[in-house]
Amino acid sequence: MTTPILEIRNLHARIEDREILKGVNLIIPPGEVHAVMGRNGSGKSTLSYVLAGKADYEITEGEVLLDGENLLEMDPAERAAAGLFLAFQYPIEIPGVATMTFLKAAINAQRKARGEAEMSTPDFMRAVKTAGTDLQIDTAMLKRPLNVGFSGGEKKRAEVLQMALLQPKMCILDETDSGLDIDALQVVSKGVNALRSAGRSMLIITHYQRLLNYIVPDVVHVFSDGKIVESGDKDLALQLEAKGYADFDGAAA
Amino acid sequence: MAQVLPVRLGAAEDTLIAQLNSVGATAAAERITVAGLPTRRVESYHYTDLKMLLKTVPPLAEPANQASAPALRVAGAYQLMIANGVIQSSTTAPAGVMVGDAQGSALSTRDDVLVHLNGALAKQSLTLTLEGSVDPVIQVDRRIEGAAAHVADSLKIFVADNASAVILETFSGSDAAHVGNHATYLAVGKNAMVTHITVDLSGKATSHFATNEYDLDEGAKLRTLTIHAGAALSRSQVFARFAGQGAHGDFTGLNLVEDGQHNDITIDIRHAVAHTTSQEMYKQIARGRSKAVFQGKIVVERDAQKVDAKMMMQGLMLSDEAEILSKPELEIYADDVVCGHGSTCGELDEESMFYLMSRGLPQAEAETMLVRGFIEEVLDPIEDEALHEALVGIVDGWLLGA
Repeated sequence: MTTPILEIRNLHARIEDREILKGVNLIIPPGEVHAVMGRNGSGKSTLSYVLAGKADYEITEGEVLLDGENLLEMDPAERAAAGLFLAFQYPIEIPGVATMTFLKAAINAQRKARGEAEMSTPDFMRAVKTAGTDLQIDTAMLKRPLNVGFSGGEKKRAEVLQMALLQPKMCILDETDSGLDIDALQVVSKGVNALRSAGRSMLIITHYQRLLNYIVPDVVHVFSDGKIVESGDKDLALQLEAKGYADFDGAAA
Repeated sequence: MAQVLPVRLGAAEDTLIAQLNSVGATAAAERITVAGLPTRRVESYHYTDLKMLLKTVPPLAEPANQASAPALRVAGAYQLMIANGVIQSSTTAPAGVMVGDAQGSALSTRDDVLVHLNGALAKQSLTLTLEGSVDPVIQVDRRIEGAAAHVADSLKIFVADNASAVILETFSGSDAAHVGNHATYLAVGKNAMVTHITVDLSGKATSHFATNEYDLDEGAKLRTLTIHAGAALSRSQVFARFAGQGAHGDFTGLNLVEDGQHNDITIDIRHAVAHTTSQEMYKQIARGRSKAVFQGKIVVERDAQKVDAKMMMQGLMLSDEAEILSKPELEIYADDVVCGHGSTCGELDEESMFYLMSRGLPQAEAETMLVRGFIEEVLDPIEDEALHEALVGIVDGWLLGA
């Protein structure tokens, strides 16, 4: 059996006294795209932050393996270098740091952590140009400070650009459709789909089915009260859209 | 009748009094004898109690025999040097630059101990007259070399009407426990455009004091940038006066403070005439057990209507033991003005740190990137590329020297 890219076993996490993740189990084999759907407050975003290593959460039980490696022992930068990428729901604005400068620093930091040589400036410029063209990101935008004054669509496109350049094994997209109009959604989805490959897995977190029309998942999971309560193929998303979450988690919508 | 208690004088004050008397500055000596060095009870020294902080003063400087390498090299800059208070001979001046000297200090009289000391002790002022569009960056390299010395030096700059120039002053020297008292007077002529940058790069044992006085004529545009990245004890004073309508000033600064340091930037911006504008933007970064002080005062005089002045101080704390102090003051006598001030202080933003680290930047690198970003706002307006790069290098040196 091939090693799954992501393996989550009985994951429990809390923030202060409140338990948010209550036993998450999830296995994502190489090349598969999984979607996690759930209502607001079900703990979906917490799952993405816990996987990326945000300090606010305390892991009380369980384990997470990224391509067989213990993810929970690594700091966020080590997780990134190991191949994890989280596309933020709300990308953070970093004043005074040009997007281009940041991209180059991030790429080279990951390469250094993996013991690889730095990317040369011409190679970097080429890579940025290629990835940027598909996402309709021009050099002018890359000269601006990271995410500062970017529109909702620009922020999400910039996240996908980072993903394209960093070439992660495991991509987590947290509510990537939020704040996007149809045109932007198409550009972003196209960018994400272009990154689907046999060696790369994705976890798409969303509470609308809409995004899944563009990025078609292999497996859909329903998330409720801190764990996965139902899994199925892409039709499960359609059922959810038609019936609402109440049928799956028993609670009133 | 109230009893007047004599001030108990310390070693530093005794030395200063003797030094002032030795050059015949009896009035200034008498002043210190009666009042001592300013304590926190003196409002303008509230956070920088000189009586407490300045324990000893070394002997008055002898002329330097040798000078160390420039603390900062900027490609293409025209360099002038004052070492131990003595103006050094310079190479042929570029077009539009006239170099000379004058007796005594360049500062006007003002009720301030550092100004009094400079006025009494500075023997000569380097004078620069700048005309037309002065191409190279003018760098005045001020040094204190050799054994610990008390140095007062002075610079007087006239920028002619319609001229433009970029002036850089650097302060450095040997590692001894010097006391430097530096003065700069800068007159900006009608419609002239000037950038004036002062960078303290003195050794840790040095006490660095600098007073910058500015006069802005009609339509003048001035940008100042005060950087503290050296001495353990420092205070830079900025006194600016808007004397002609349509003048604009951007007053900026970067107070970098680390373990054991106490650095103070005190500004006093005076809008004496109508239709003048200013923006003050000061950033302070403190790490270790240290203290950063910013006192900012904007005065709008009675007839100075339509003045627009906005002051901002932003502090960044990199340790729990650091202190960042900020005292903004507005004194407004006109009734049709737009003035404002703000002051913020915080640590590195956790969300930003997480975001950068989630992209693979290790903690130290992510911190450095955020601090650089924080600073860029004051360095970015420096257009000369070599100069901008040199200043970024100083900041990086400070950051990585942790």
